[in-house]
Amino acid sequence: MTPENPRPRAEPGSFRDPQTRVFYAGGEVLRGLGAQAAQDWKALRASDFFARAQADGSVTATDEVDRELPGEPGTWSATLRHTPIPFVTYPYEWSHAMRQDAARLHLDLLRRALAAGFTMKDGSAYNLQWRGAVPEFIDIGSFEPARPGEPWAGYRQFCQTLLYPLMLQAHLDLDPRPLLRSQIDGVEPAQMRRLFGGTRRLAAGVLKHVHLHDSIQSRNADRSTGAVREQLRDAGFNSELVVAAARAMAKLVDKLDWSPPATHWGDYRETCSYSDDDRAAKARFVDAALDAADRTDLVLDLGANDGVFARQAAAKAGYVVAVEADPAVVDTLYRQLRAEGEKRVLPIVMDLADPSPGGGWAGAERAGFAARAAGADVALALALVHHLAIGRNVPLPAIVEWLAGMGRHVVVEFVHADDPMAKRLLANKPDGLFPDYHVETFVRLLGERFDIARRETLPGGTRTLIAGVRRD
Amino acid sequence: MESHLAYLDAGSGSLIVQALVAGTAGVVVAAKLYWRRLKSVFRRKTPAEATTADQD
Repeated sequence: MTPENPRPRAEPGSFRDPQTRVFYAGGEVLRGLGAQAAQDWKALRASDFFARAQADGSVTATDEVDRELPGEPGTWSATLRHTPIPFVTYPYEWSHAMRQDAARLHLDLLRRALAAGFTMKDGSAYNLQWRGAVPEFIDIGSFEPARPGEPWAGYRQFCQTLLYPLMLQAHLDLDPRPLLRSQIDGVEPAQMRRLFGGTRRLAAGVLKHVHLHDSIQSRNADRSTGAVREQLRDAGFNSELVVAAARAMAKLVDKLDWSPPATHWGDYRETCSYSDDDRAAKARFVDAALDAADRTDLVLDLGANDGVFARQAAAKAGYVVAVEADPAVVDTLYRQLRAEGEKRVLPIVMDLADPSPGGGWAGAERAGFAARAAGADVALALALVHHLAIGRNVPLPAIVEWLAGMGRHVVVEFVHADDPMAKRLLANKPDGLFPDYHVETFVRLLGERFDIARRETLPGGTRTLIAGVRRD
Repeated sequence: MESHLAYLDAGSGSLIVQALVAGTAGVVVAAKLYWRRLKSVFRRKTPAEATTADQD
């Protein structure tokens, strides 16, 4: 195999539908289609619905190509090529408004597909990805011609991975991310039912989608879906009912709003201990570091807060992923980016001291954050290290090693122990617990893995910026 | 008509709920489905129906 034509590598998360599989080859994202899927694709490709969904960007740009894919001869009848998603994320990394928009897009596509005589095989949140603050449906293999009298097979999946998580946040103010992260198939109706007892069952959508769903599901557990489909068809189920169900769900999703607590955003602004001079110097330093980087296709802003530096980096980068632990802050940032139609800054929710692990089958169906971040060109870690080192007791050498896995270029803002923000964190720990927490120690450790390209202490005197290039 | 099975287990109960989610017309379909099931319990099964029921 030549380097220009490497052997396609199968995406570990794309095996559930045996009719289609995603492969990566030399920067291309390819999809093999089995005989039936290839036939469905031909019908889809010829439809106005698909042309429009391609034109408005709601479905990943796709064309048919001639490529060899791994597999027994005859496995793949057609090969598609998709425009790559700059950074893959998972539903447990989205804020509420992101989830709501993803759900809206899914239902919108379902309704448009139904109107054109197609349906969708599934209803999984994992089929949605982001281009900045714009959601995109990536699973072309999901569309197939609709059969008369067929219900939507993806309804349960839609409930478990999109609708229920929205309900948890909107109705209970409960962050659904821990559940989504630990259960690849999403939240079960039975779990939801336990959380929505008493008057909570009266909250929008709960009675039908949760209580009725769970009880009907358990009463029909011994019946096959084939038999129930037949009974439904005999009872007069038709495609108009799928349309009506999709419409009802879309209305429900619109109702499931969640307003992030107003205090969060204000808090950040108030507690931010910079002077204007500090801020300007920091901005200049970040700009200079980005200018000096040989590649800036993918920049990670680790601990992005309100995203001001992610936005700044976007002026000099291909794509910026803004990682922030506070879901309310990410939600607000997302809404702003969405209003601007920003397609190159992607905000995600993640605690960097507890980043997304691998998940699903063999722990590989969903890639961990570290694996996805490894391809980054630049990592910004501005006012992050003190949170990890003091707030979470992560040793400085471990932080440096971790940063080396996040990007070839790093820009670190080290907050000195006498900075008000660091003092606040230190106040919760015994005196003398972190004797090594010092800028010189950090710079020395960083110097063991990176060539230090520049270093500057901000005018306030309690924060030092360091730019390094990893020695590979 | 031949019954189509998707790669995804749609959940037999979830399919019925979908009808209920669809509004009045869907509720009518679900009611009809349950009424037929009820009738079939009280009706003496012919050999042909018994075979179908076994497959359920």
